[in-house]
Amino acid sequence: MIYFDSAATTMQKPERVTQAMVRAMHTMASPGRGSHHAAALAAEAAFACREEAAGLFGLDDPSQVVFTFNATHALNIAIKSLVRAGDTVVISGYEHNAVTRPLHAIGDVEIRVADGPLFCPRDMIERFDRLITPEVSCVVCTHMSNVFGYILPIDEIAELCERKKVPLIVDASQSAGSVPIDMRRWRAAFVAMPGHKGLYGPQGTGLLLCNASTRTLLEGGTGSASALQRMPDFLPDRLEAGTHNIPGIAGLLEGLRFVRRYGVERIGRHEVELSGWMADKLMRIPGIQVFEQGSGETCRGGVLSFVAEGNDCEELGQRLGRKEIAVRSGLHCAPLAHRSAGTLDTGTIRISVSAFNTLREARQFVAAIKQILF
Amino acid sequence: MVNYLILCRSLTYAQRSASVLDRAGIPAHIVRCPKGLTTEGCSHCVRISGRAFERALETLLRAGLKPEQIFGKNGAGAFEEVAFA
Repeated sequence: MIYFDSAATTMQKPERVTQAMVRAMHTMASPGRGSHHAAALAAEAAFACREEAAGLFGLDDPSQVVFTFNATHALNIAIKSLVRAGDTVVISGYEHNAVTRPLHAIGDVEIRVADGPLFCPRDMIERFDRLITPEVSCVVCTHMSNVFGYILPIDEIAELCERKKVPLIVDASQSAGSVPIDMRRWRAAFVAMPGHKGLYGPQGTGLLLCNASTRTLLEGGTGSASALQRMPDFLPDRLEAGTHNIPGIAGLLEGLRFVRRYGVERIGRHEVELSGWMADKLMRIPGIQVFEQGSGETCRGGVLSFVAEGNDCEELGQRLGRKEIAVRSGLHCAPLAHRSAGTLDTGTIRISVSAFNTLREARQFVAAIKQILF
Repeated sequence: MVNYLILCRSLTYAQRSASVLDRAGIPAHIVRCPKGLTTEGCSHCVRISGRAFERALETLLRAGLKPEQIFGKNGAGAFEEVAFA
């Protein structure tokens, strides 16, 4: 199978990820829940994973790295820590439902949308600047659109937030592992990311990098301050009620190590080159519209969307699937992004690559598209 | 006093403390805190030898890892809280 659906989850993982998970299943118990060797091994794996993530994303203190089930879980904690009913929030026009649904669930939140056109970072900065007024209590912005691969100008948006003293939540679901993330530079309140995409960990893992006061989403046992009925006021325990997904964390640790060894920039470059190659070939096929950045721009990652005139995107996705090519079609849980780009009625077909994809696969994909369409 | 227990507010905090001490060449072991030493329930300590106590404390404070409390074992085998600056 040619797997081009890494924006949903990377399926090809480093072999060490699987090995670490199996080892964890055989040898590790639960961190902080006992004095025995199996608990100590679990605690070591969890701490090593926090340290690795802190090092990769610019945090001095590994306690600020909180394990979650996925990025949606992390975003829910972040958003519900900072946003209350009656608040005004600014978001980009490229947010996923993982951001917009929690905001709607809080209720009575004024949501201002900075919905600039695709691949126009300057325009996006100006829109954020206009919308972040004194009554705004929080900004939530994706680092990279999960539909179009558009890398938003997060450095500049973070600067705006810093200058206007508004906390920033960054959704790094698509960028973590392929675009540099630096908590020190951004001074973001929170950065949320999945473990199972560009960090090459297993499904069921995510990270929340914390730099602000938090509200709990779950309450329960933490293996600490057990005599008290309130949740601990310190991280990471405050946000990690219940038994940890230790096999997942052990796998994520190896995924993070892979990203560090291989290099974030190198992975990102590979993904952009490969998807750029396909964009170039697809654009030459009559009837195909590719959502690609202008020449000389550097604001698209390894995610690429296109539509084929006269072809329903879901049907085309299914036909590719029958040829053992995995892509994603439809709205990608991000109707707001499609509204911003003008593709809400049609949806798109999305190709998303990882460090493991090759030019040979890209060639086969382009050949398959031609075969289906003509 | 033979051993000291540095009480930490969380397992992760204890792991950070032990990691800093290890890097400074001071042997440190994470243990669960004896029940009688805290009223808050389960918590973790870093155990260090008496010989390394002063250097360990200095190392931790320099790293910004202030202990919650420190306990030392007296001659009778009981833990006593140790004052530190």
